[in-house]
Amino acid sequence: MNTALLHRALLLTAWIAGLFCLLVCGIMLYEHFEAATRDPWKSPQLLALKEKLAAEPGDVPLQKEIRQLDQTFRQQFRHRLSLDKTGAWLALGGMVVLVLAAGKAAALRTTLPLPQPKIAAAEQTAKRASRARWSLAGVGLAVAGSLVMVGLDNTSVLPANQAAWQKLTGPAGAEETPAETAPTPSEFQANWPRFRGWDGSGASAQTNYGTNLAWRSAIPAPGHSSPVVWGERVFISGGTAARREVFCYAVSSGALLWRRAVENVPGSPPKVAEVPDDTTYAAPTLATDGRRVYVFFANGDLAALAFDGSVVWTKYLGPLKNMYGYAASLAVWGNNLLLQLDQGGTTAEGSRLISLQGASGRVLWERSRPVPASWATPIVIETAGKTQIITLANPWVIAYTQADGAELWRAQLLEGEVVPSPIFAGGYVILANPGSALLALRPDGSGDVSKTQVAWTSENDVPDITSPVSRGDLVFTVTSIGTVKCAGAGDGKKIWGTNLDTEVNASPGIAGDRLVILGEKGVVVMLGAARQFQEMGRSQLPDKFLASPAFANGRIFLRGATNLFCLTPDGGKPAKGP
Amino acid sequence: MLRRLKFAGALGVMLLLALAVSAEQRFPPPDFESGYRLPSASTPAARLLWLQYADTGVFLAALGTAAWMIYKKRSRRGIFWLSLFSLAYFGFYRKGCICPIGSPQNVVYGLFNPDYAVPVTVLIFCFAPIVAALFAGRIFCAGVCPQGALQDFMLIKPVTVPPWLEEALSVVPYIFLGAGLIYAGTGTGFVICRYDPFVPFFRLSGGSFILTVGAVFLLAGMFVGRPYCRFLCPYGGLLRLASLASKWRVRVTPDVCTQCRLCEQTCPFGAMREAAPAGTSPNTLGAARRRLGWLLALLPALVVAGGWAGSKLGPAAAQLHPAVALAERYARQQTDPVQYGLMTPEALSLQRAAANPEAVFTAASDLRHRFDLACCLFGGWIGLVIGVKLLALSVPAIRTDYEPDRGACVACARCFTACPNERVRLGWMPAADKPAPL
Repeated sequence: MNTALLHRALLLTAWIAGLFCLLVCGIMLYEHFEAATRDPWKSPQLLALKEKLAAEPGDVPLQKEIRQLDQTFRQQFRHRLSLDKTGAWLALGGMVVLVLAAGKAAALRTTLPLPQPKIAAAEQTAKRASRARWSLAGVGLAVAGSLVMVGLDNTSVLPANQAAWQKLTGPAGAEETPAETAPTPSEFQANWPRFRGWDGSGASAQTNYGTNLAWRSAIPAPGHSSPVVWGERVFISGGTAARREVFCYAVSSGALLWRRAVENVPGSPPKVAEVPDDTTYAAPTLATDGRRVYVFFANGDLAALAFDGSVVWTKYLGPLKNMYGYAASLAVWGNNLLLQLDQGGTTAEGSRLISLQGASGRVLWERSRPVPASWATPIVIETAGKTQIITLANPWVIAYTQADGAELWRAQLLEGEVVPSPIFAGGYVILANPGSALLALRPDGSGDVSKTQVAWTSENDVPDITSPVSRGDLVFTVTSIGTVKCAGAGDGKKIWGTNLDTEVNASPGIAGDRLVILGEKGVVVMLGAARQFQEMGRSQLPDKFLASPAFANGRIFLRGATNLFCLTPDGGKPAKGP
Repeated sequence: MLRRLKFAGALGVMLLLALAVSAEQRFPPPDFESGYRLPSASTPAARLLWLQYADTGVFLAALGTAAWMIYKKRSRRGIFWLSLFSLAYFGFYRKGCICPIGSPQNVVYGLFNPDYAVPVTVLIFCFAPIVAALFAGRIFCAGVCPQGALQDFMLIKPVTVPPWLEEALSVVPYIFLGAGLIYAGTGTGFVICRYDPFVPFFRLSGGSFILTVGAVFLLAGMFVGRPYCRFLCPYGGLLRLASLASKWRVRVTPDVCTQCRLCEQTCPFGAMREAAPAGTSPNTLGAARRRLGWLLALLPALVVAGGWAGSKLGPAAAQLHPAVALAERYARQQTDPVQYGLMTPEALSLQRAAANPEAVFTAASDLRHRFDLACCLFGGWIGLVIGVKLLALSVPAIRTDYEPDRGACVACARCFTACPNERVRLGWMPAADKPAPL
């Protein structure tokens, strides 16, 4: 065949093969971008359905709908995958023809070599070697520059030195904590181990409480944390931006046994975040399991102290995004510590519920929460065959299993700034939607129970700051302007009400048969915790009170702004036995 | 010509994007427990043991055939067909796995991780081409490597890379080798495999980045012979070193070189070296000796400087390790929380980290220390490679004949038939037609 003709034929073949490849690739690209809208990772339709299912895990029709949509996406994907594979082979075939044809065409036009004598070959070789050395030096510099740039652009937030690593990882073998027995329920009930008592209800089963002052002791640092009591010790916290401390007093005498600053917490910045003075750094109430006392401050420092005041472990969980300052209290259950760390302005910003091993501080589990900042303290209840952690925050009431933090149910019932903590009474979780309604929820549902598990609502005189308290069949609430309401725990219907004519920020408590209400300006009111309204006593203390009372072993402990008070029936000798 | 180049460019980009199309689509597993088996889309499934041994047998037979074709038959055609077979078998059928190029990573990973036993087949794939190179040069590159074959077939119109650039870029494979071995030794991953630009073609599947890189190499390969083999392949770097000490070497002609220079332009890979008689001009001898002395003195300084620079790289390099990345994310979450979506990989990984953060930080700390040491060694290695190369460029070569460079020659056999002596030997031309020396 004529060489020129063959060359033209080969070039034409190469062009046709190239155009064929372009066409196939173009179709594949079009299919790709068209299919991108059906990517199930990004499909808004499927994602919305999955979010809905997360709220209602038991919704079988919804599951079917998701499966159907998922299957449709899969079928479309498989079909397109098959098309892509065919297209890829066609394109590769086209490329082979193109390369063969173009290669042959190029070979036809190759000019044969016609070497000429070399002049000064040695000099040229030396010159080439010199250029190569310089270009190699250039490559070396480029590599070195790249390495330096990568090194300088290091965005690691992990420590650079050994000491800082040791703070993060803890001393060798720190995680090997010896097994210890958890306190028994009766031990918990005999003491006041957390905010509003062992179960967070604010009620003590013991009786014979009185309002005579047994002792009072000065509190060296500001704070609103309520007292917690275990055996012969009562603990409170206080602090400022400069120093945050735990104070341990003797129950019988009020003597300050020890004070311990929580400092040098790994990861905690020296300059702490500002917290409004009204809230203070020590608003969260401590918790104790009788082995250690746990404290959390609004700057994010968490610590466990032994009963002799020595530090067992510390952790930094901040900075906390809370516009009024973090104030939710710690909770204990068995050997474990619970922390509801809700954060954010109007949306969740790192909100989570954390369970830690009390002995070591090791995080047992952690669950992300879809809520902004809240100020309510979680409670742990045993009902419906499960141990549930009940949490409140705008807009969700969410129950988690105590064992692993798995979500059990949730109800969209809350709004605004959620401060009052829930209680469990009469088989219901009773909670206040601040300024709107008091609600009772049956805690035996699953998924979204917003419309199915609400037993009753009560809309008048709803507390905005304080938490409700119950005697079992009755629920008592106090608003911040001092309006007291007694309602039936079974139906929420008002039984009686009164106004104490005093501001109240401390949650009320029940000591035996008495409803104890602590006014901000120091008035202590005792009402009968009964169906009939009865004022059983009223006294005045010289301090300002925002913390809630603690009841243990016939003693009432009140934390004022500057003093810790202990009240007994006879002003010195506590009553014996319940 | 320009029009053709534009066309080829557009075609390559389209082809690669189109392949990326099929590659990037990854389908999540169903959220329900339905016994669904996740298809392995990018990594071939494990192979039966006897099939692995069969692959090894085919591999060794291919190596032997390559040596026979080059040294006994001296057949370019034979090498061509062997390359085609290797491309089909080791490339498209075995999907580029197992492949000697990535195998040093397995060996190094096995050395530093006692829990991993390197399979015998991997050891054979890793060391057989090196042992072969010690005897017969880069016969693996000649006709057994599917990556090399693919590039070889793409070559349409080779252009000459300037020697100074060729020499300078020849250190890059060793740098890549060092990085690959560090990441393998620390258990981060096999980056040499992950960033192999041709394996995605064999599997018709891969990320868009690596497919684009592959497209660039293939397009460049139409005009620059085997760009990946020459300027990036880490295994090629090892074979280059082994070939320098090879017992036999590829020769343009087994006969006497007439120095006609007809072979000079036949090597598309820049491996042909001209004859260089012994003896240096007295005018330049002193300067050459002084330069060599300075470079010898510079070598330890380069190693130390490289080690120092490398030591600064540890924290950044460690972030590629999944355990360190998790610790980073967890630590960052403590100071600057991010709200991740429900059941997203990030949220799930943070949950796992939260269950035992001390363990996460302990693992990260251990890895960071390993990376600090490894990066220091890596920097020193780079200094050593550049220093040795500078020395090599300062020692004048002595060659009586035109011959392929032992290290650079991939034994493709293209130069054989350019030699008049070889053509006479094959009976393709009469001896009288041989050109006289220039």
